[in-house]
Amino acid sequence: MADRKKEKLQESGRSAICARPSTFAQYKTLLMKDLKQEFRTKDMIVSMGIYAVLVIVVFGVALSFAKPGSEFLEVSGGLLWSLVVFTSLLGLNRSFSHEMENGCMEGMLLAPLDRGAVFLAKMTSNVVFLLIVEVVAVPLYWLFFSSYATPADTAWMMIIPLLVGTVGIAGIGTLLSTITTRTRGKDVLLALLFVPVIFPLLYACVSATTAVLIGGDVVADTLMVSLVLAVGYDVIMILASWILYEFVVSA
Amino acid sequence: MGKSKGASPKLPEVGQWPDKIAPAVAIAGIVLTTLGFLMAFFYVPPVAGAAVDGVELIGGMMVANKLLISQKIFYFHMPVAMVSFVALAFSCYYGVRFLMTREWRYDTCSAIAIEIALVFVVATMATGEMWTRFEWGVWWTWEPRLTTYLVLMLIVIAYFVLRSAVDEPERRGVFCSVIAIIATIDVPICFAITRLIPSSIHPVVLREGGMSGEMGMCVALVAAGMFCIGFALYRARFGQVRLAQRVEAMKESLED
Repeated sequence: MADRKKEKLQESGRSAICARPSTFAQYKTLLMKDLKQEFRTKDMIVSMGIYAVLVIVVFGVALSFAKPGSEFLEVSGGLLWSLVVFTSLLGLNRSFSHEMENGCMEGMLLAPLDRGAVFLAKMTSNVVFLLIVEVVAVPLYWLFFSSYATPADTAWMMIIPLLVGTVGIAGIGTLLSTITTRTRGKDVLLALLFVPVIFPLLYACVSATTAVLIGGDVVADTLMVSLVLAVGYDVIMILASWILYEFVVSA
Repeated sequence: MGKSKGASPKLPEVGQWPDKIAPAVAIAGIVLTTLGFLMAFFYVPPVAGAAVDGVELIGGMMVANKLLISQKIFYFHMPVAMVSFVALAFSCYYGVRFLMTREWRYDTCSAIAIEIALVFVVATMATGEMWTRFEWGVWWTWEPRLTTYLVLMLIVIAYFVLRSAVDEPERRGVFCSVIAIIATIDVPICFAITRLIPSSIHPVVLREGGMSGEMGMCVALVAAGMFCIGFALYRARFGQVRLAQRVEAMKESLED
């Protein structure tokens, strides 16, 4: 893995003789490295997918004696988001573990790369993996709980809060997991930092998701406010993470 | 890291002017908060807003609108919350200073500011709990601002866990500064959530203009006192930590 990376770095080094590769080229190279590595090993996606199914099973047990009816719609948005949060925690924990193996991180830092590009590439790869897992897990969630209640016609709009939430989770999660992979007690510490920091986004996304699931008048009232809040959180937190990433990654 | 010393000649240090006024400020804080306490109970009349809903039998009388004594908590709850926010903002400021200059003193300042923030956050939670118990009749309710304050407390606690989990001092300083900045960014978002997402039951005092002159005076008095106490606590802790650091440095130089 390290050799391949070195080759790639040498390649970009060679072209630097004529011109320094653009930040976008650096970003693309780093992103392709992450994607290629993941699609060859399928390490993270498989474990995240199985974990998501296991969380659904736990929810199934938790609900099995309640047998909720239409009121399930009011809870389901929140349950869906706890599924997303737990699964993304697992993914974020692993996203930096193979960077630490074989001194990948040192190689990346030695290359004259823009640190912002490193952040954006890692964030994008996290978004891609999370979305792949969500594409599998969300329909499965509805398959398993379809007997309780049928969501409103507006349920397809759930895609919007899911997208916004995933981008935010990946953004701040990339910063936090870069911090926690280099501390003692990595996994626990990531959860400790990640859950409170992500809270406002989670709150807004749950509110938006519940609104589209219930449908009716609530959609117009709540959806826009929640989405605007969630997007605002995304913009602020991703900008902050982008700026702070340089310090974190070189520390 | 010594190169930046010339750029920032005035580092916070024990014995500078804030330490000279700190004892006086501490006494002023004690006096002001005591005055505020007395004022809240003996001077400010009870106001509408904290009241019994519906008709109830209290003290042998049927009352439709009884003014509750528990509203006095407000005079302490709000100032303490204000101080905790300001302490957090200072922690963020020193965090930024540390990232800019890599001067250890700022890391120490940031950590101490967030310790003070934790003290006041816990005080806010305690007074807030009393309020929810007596005003709303429950120990805890998942009302947005309460929840976000809990979240804030959790971030501050996570900060200390992170601080103890990193061994290299350089790394610890950077990571902790970053988390202090992130926590401070979270605070306005907490506020925005209570205002913008519907179904909030927390009294939004300032927006409704619901504070009478006497109430405002009392809150301002307690707030001034709490700020004084916060400042004095900060200086006391800073002095302690700095002197400990200097003793360590001296020991090391003697060993060499």
